[in-house]
Amino acid sequence: MLNRDTLGALIFLAFFTAYAVFAWQIPLLPFEEMDAVNSASIPKVYAVLGLIFSLLALLAQAIKRQHNSDAGWPQINRRSIGQTAVLLLLMWVYTALLEPTGFLLATSAFLSAGFFIMGERRWRVLLLASVPVAVVFWLIMTKLLGIYLVPGELWS
Amino acid sequence: MLDGILLGLSTALQWQNLLYVIAGCFVGTFIGMLPGLGPITAIALMIPITYSIDPSSGMILMAGVYYGAIFGGSTSSILINAPGVAGTVASSFDGYPLAKQGMAGKALAIAAWASFTGGTIGALLLMLAAPTLAKVSLSFQSADYVALMCLGLTAIAAFSNKGTFLKAMMMTVFGLTLSTVGIDPSSGTERFTFGNTDLLDGISFLLIAMSTFALAEALSNVLKPEVKQANSEQPMQIGSIRLSKAEVKEISPAIGRSSLLGFIIGVLPGAGATIASFMAYAAERNLAPKALQEKFGKGALRGLAAPESANNAACTGSFVPLLTLGIPGSGTTAIMLGALIAYGIQPGPMLMQDNPDVFWAVIISMYLGNIVLLILNLPLIPYLARVLIMPKAILTMMILFFSLIGVYLVSFNTFDLFMMIGFALVALVLRLLAFPMAPLLLGFILGDMIESNFRRAMMTSDGSLSIFWDKPLTLGIMLLAIVVLAMPLLSFLRLRKAAI
Repeated sequence: MLNRDTLGALIFLAFFTAYAVFAWQIPLLPFEEMDAVNSASIPKVYAVLGLIFSLLALLAQAIKRQHNSDAGWPQINRRSIGQTAVLLLLMWVYTALLEPTGFLLATSAFLSAGFFIMGERRWRVLLLASVPVAVVFWLIMTKLLGIYLVPGELWS
Repeated sequence: MLDGILLGLSTALQWQNLLYVIAGCFVGTFIGMLPGLGPITAIALMIPITYSIDPSSGMILMAGVYYGAIFGGSTSSILINAPGVAGTVASSFDGYPLAKQGMAGKALAIAAWASFTGGTIGALLLMLAAPTLAKVSLSFQSADYVALMCLGLTAIAAFSNKGTFLKAMMMTVFGLTLSTVGIDPSSGTERFTFGNTDLLDGISFLLIAMSTFALAEALSNVLKPEVKQANSEQPMQIGSIRLSKAEVKEISPAIGRSSLLGFIIGVLPGAGATIASFMAYAAERNLAPKALQEKFGKGALRGLAAPESANNAACTGSFVPLLTLGIPGSGTTAIMLGALIAYGIQPGPMLMQDNPDVFWAVIISMYLGNIVLLILNLPLIPYLARVLIMPKAILTMMILFFSLIGVYLVSFNTFDLFMMIGFALVALVLRLLAFPMAPLLLGFILGDMIESNFRRAMMTSDGSLSIFWDKPLTLGIMLLAIVVLAMPLLSFLRLRKAAI
């Protein structure tokens, strides 16, 4: 059965293979072609090293499996996976909305939605822990430190 | 050297820099106390702030955060048996039993005094060692630097957790590959940009640090909520923080020995605070009389003092290769190197001559940081410890928010944020598969330096690789790197043979 160390080695093997393919396709400038070291040299070295280490890791797994010393999978419950996935999606939405809706609105919504996802259900807490944070941070950045924060492309 | 110390004092004692060191210690303690969050996350969260201040103040702030985070990690180890960082795991062996016996205040006081002494001895040794090594390293050439960086990269993998050497090496190479993205500075050729103009400047180090540490750590705490927090719900009885004369007499020799051991281990690339604290703990247990040996693990004062002083001295020691050679020996110093480079300052032998204010201010601020921790943080521990009962929802969201907005405030480019979320997801998966993160950061930061030094070395040798074994110094460092690389492989083969 596929254990986590084998899976990790396979992921890296795939990554380094793809990296190697692109490393060998780096276009060289005419004056570089005769150089001992050019733009593609170091990426090629890294690609080969990566492939060697990921293959060694796979080999080590094969040897370990003969001795029944497989590393197990971490115990994670479905609720935690769901929470983490939704938080990642929330960060993506926050990034997408940051410039169109502006810092204040996007941040307040991001924080209150995040608290909700993390299990907070009291509306007062949701608002008090998000809107003031966004406002105080915005005041510090714009008024105190003079850093420009987007007011929102949709409103301007 | 006296001039340097005076220059460092005059910089570090400026009122705004004193405020930075105090603020850094507080913030570091606060973040370090939170189970699952370590000094790298604490420093990463501070980097966007340091960009708006001058380099000396920025480094002083980060040094304060570093020390604070280590101290904070010890506090959560002692009070709730949940070390914030690997370097304070050994502190929980005897610290937590002491807290369970109602002596949490005493344990925290021992941790604070041991850390202070370890940090002080470390700072004194750093003052002596750094200028000397900086002078010696002036004679280093590009090939020597390549060899040293190879040694640093292999050492961090070799000293990683048991059985994770190959994983650490894959992460190191992964970090190196990420450093090749963008325009090649020597020829102007585009590499791995796939036609995306946002990638022409490469990937920012802040983005990598924030996504692999701050974001991934916060998300992994959501994903794996097994970090011990049950005890944190209970009100904590701190008790007296006073130590008796007999207790001071008992722990003093252990602190002295462990500080020296910790500093030496800290200087070695890749070793760091975790190995130093475990070695100091083991050494003290072996040195203790038979009767006392049995007390280790059940609340021995020496068992707490030794790892605490060793880890602080090691933290200081890890600055030696950073300040003198420009080569970080740990994830934390790697992140500081990245910050220095972002300032336009190149750490290394010339740092002492080109930016003496930064060089000496960092050294002096370490000492000041230890004083701040002792005078201000120790009495405030009962209040600071309340952070341990902070709701997880608020904590997680604040880390996510500060990480995202921290990167946005530096680049003002939402593409960076999208990339950061992608890297956080990758880092999260890799964490679940038990891959260490520090080698990735070290590889990423050293990648550019390795490439530029390698090219320079090859140009001076007319394209001949013999430059890496012609000089005894280069050959010696290269051989050491090969030995470090071969050690875990040999031990794996030996174990296999024994199993057969």
